[in-house]
Amino acid sequence: MSGAGSIGPSPGPVPAPGAAPWPTSIGRDPFAADPGTPWVRISPRLATARRMGAVATAVLVAAVGIGVTTAAGGPEWGFVVLLVVLAGLGWVSWVIGRQVRAMGFLERDDDLLVVSGIMFRKLVIVPYGRMQLVDVTAGPLDRRFGIAKVQLHTAAATSDAVIAGLPAEQAARLRDHLAALGEQRSAGL
Amino acid sequence: MTADQPAGEFVPTPARRTNPITAFVKAGQVVPVLLFFVFTNGIVNATSGAQRPLLGAGGVAVVVVFMAVQYVSWTRFTFWFDADGDLRLTSGILQVSQRRVQLSRLQSVDVTQPLLARIFGLAEVRPEVAGAERRSLVIGYLTLDDAHALRAELLARAAGVRTGEPGAAAPIAPENVLLSVPTAVVLESSLLSPAALVAFVVIVVMVVVAVVSGNPLATVPIFVAVVAPLAGAVAPFLTFFGFTVADSPDGLRLRFGLTSHQLQTVPPGRVQAVRIEAPVLWRHRGWVRVVVNVAGSPDANEAKDHPRVLLPAGPIDVAHMLVQRVLPGVVIESMPLIPAPRRARWRAPLQWRRLATGSDARAFVTRHGWLVPTWDAVPHARVQSVRVSQGPWQRRLGLSTVHLDSTPGPIKPMAAQRSADEARVMAQEQVEWGRRARLAAPPQRWMRPPPPAVGGDAS
Repeated sequence: MSGAGSIGPSPGPVPAPGAAPWPTSIGRDPFAADPGTPWVRISPRLATARRMGAVATAVLVAAVGIGVTTAAGGPEWGFVVLLVVLAGLGWVSWVIGRQVRAMGFLERDDDLLVVSGIMFRKLVIVPYGRMQLVDVTAGPLDRRFGIAKVQLHTAAATSDAVIAGLPAEQAARLRDHLAALGEQRSAGL
Repeated sequence: MTADQPAGEFVPTPARRTNPITAFVKAGQVVPVLLFFVFTNGIVNATSGAQRPLLGAGGVAVVVVFMAVQYVSWTRFTFWFDADGDLRLTSGILQVSQRRVQLSRLQSVDVTQPLLARIFGLAEVRPEVAGAERRSLVIGYLTLDDAHALRAELLARAAGVRTGEPGAAAPIAPENVLLSVPTAVVLESSLLSPAALVAFVVIVVMVVVAVVSGNPLATVPIFVAVVAPLAGAVAPFLTFFGFTVADSPDGLRLRFGLTSHQLQTVPPGRVQAVRIEAPVLWRHRGWVRVVVNVAGSPDANEAKDHPRVLLPAGPIDVAHMLVQRVLPGVVIESMPLIPAPRRARWRAPLQWRRLATGSDARAFVTRHGWLVPTWDAVPHARVQSVRVSQGPWQRRLGLSTVHLDSTPGPIKPMAAQRSADEARVMAQEQVEWGRRARLAAPPQRWMRPPPPAVGGDAS
């Protein structure tokens, strides 16, 4: 029975709640709150890449919207649409910045921790012995910015541990490292 | 791949085919579909008398073409066991594919008999393997005896039993019937379902409308509304008719089905999580349902015709006995459960009183549900990953949810609406329990002595 919050007999010594390397709170930006923790932050290049994607979408929406409203109601309506799209773009790019700052991961001795999300916060803990495969993917926009996404798969479809926005060579290194650890600790289902 | 399996240990078997009338039976399955299509679309009514023979000829042509395709695909389908003792399958008409099924990862073997195949005394064998296979493997049709022999052979090889010289059939393991669910219980439990309740209400409305209006034809529009719930009420009866559970060295054998028949085999240690449900409609009888997660292809786990049910309806003692069989040491009934904090009622107003969670050295148990009180249990050794999530409303209340990820299936174990601080400790403790459980994991080939501990790489 280790302290408050335990739901049964304790498995043994676990780090005290709040102690590094555990996030001080799920989702509360663990990095800003405690810059001393060894959490790895995500490159701001991911935010840039995602903003580029948002800009492309905004241009498309603006073009269609302005075209339609100008034809139907006159140029002043086109101007209104433009303002709305610009405001939306500003908001989205602000959210993207916050989202990327909320992401991070931490390699521990036996497992990998990934945090993400602002509105819907999430912490995923994947033991290395449970990893079935590690994917590295990079879309065209990602490649332009030299970043890649590392995804861990376990036998559960719901594990969903994704680390986006890693510099390409760091992603490859992480994949190899994780694969090696996974092989070492592999356990049957 | 398997470290404990030197290559060439087994003698490969010659390639085998499925039964030659497979194509005929598979083509026969399109006939009802075709008839349904023709009649529901009013094609019969739209055609004049002279065109009807043409329509019939068209239908026959479709069946013949379908049969030809099935025949060619039958000639291309072969299966055998390779030198590593694994199952190989080749199939495909235009694009030939060869699949290798690693039997050390075998999760279950089912022998199913859809109605039409059953009439011809045929069956298909469905080995379920954990891992990347998206679609389930189906070997069919075989005669029922051949299907049982193949099932026994798959299980024997998966267990690591050497069958000696090639061609020698693996003996079918003896069994010991644990329980069978009486027909009356299957029937009553099917009738005490939400679908049956809806059907009953609709029928009452129909009768009232017919009596009040004095015109039975007025009920025709309502009649359509009764079809789906009625089918929903009858389906569990047809599926679980004659449900029998038997114990054998292969694992648990489940037999059930009135029109189509199934034999499912779940080898020891392959159950990933269990759920006990006690629907409120069954409360006066004290019946519960037991469902399991077995690792396998997502397809098989989502499929309605492929239920992962250990007990369709029965007393709670029987349920606990079955849970003990599939997950030894996991006790749901005596696990002390800690309720969720009172403020959880703002997030889960209906079920908050039931939300409770407990854990011991062996397993994690969680209780939830409103009209269907439910207990989920997952042994620490079977947890794939641990997640903690928190939505905006939960954050306002200082709550979070801890998920223990299991393989795809009906059970998604989670401790919902715990206080955020407690959730953090809980996640950490569950991860630690999981680590310890993995270190003590039993061998994959369950009939073999465990390999000598060298290096610690036991895959």
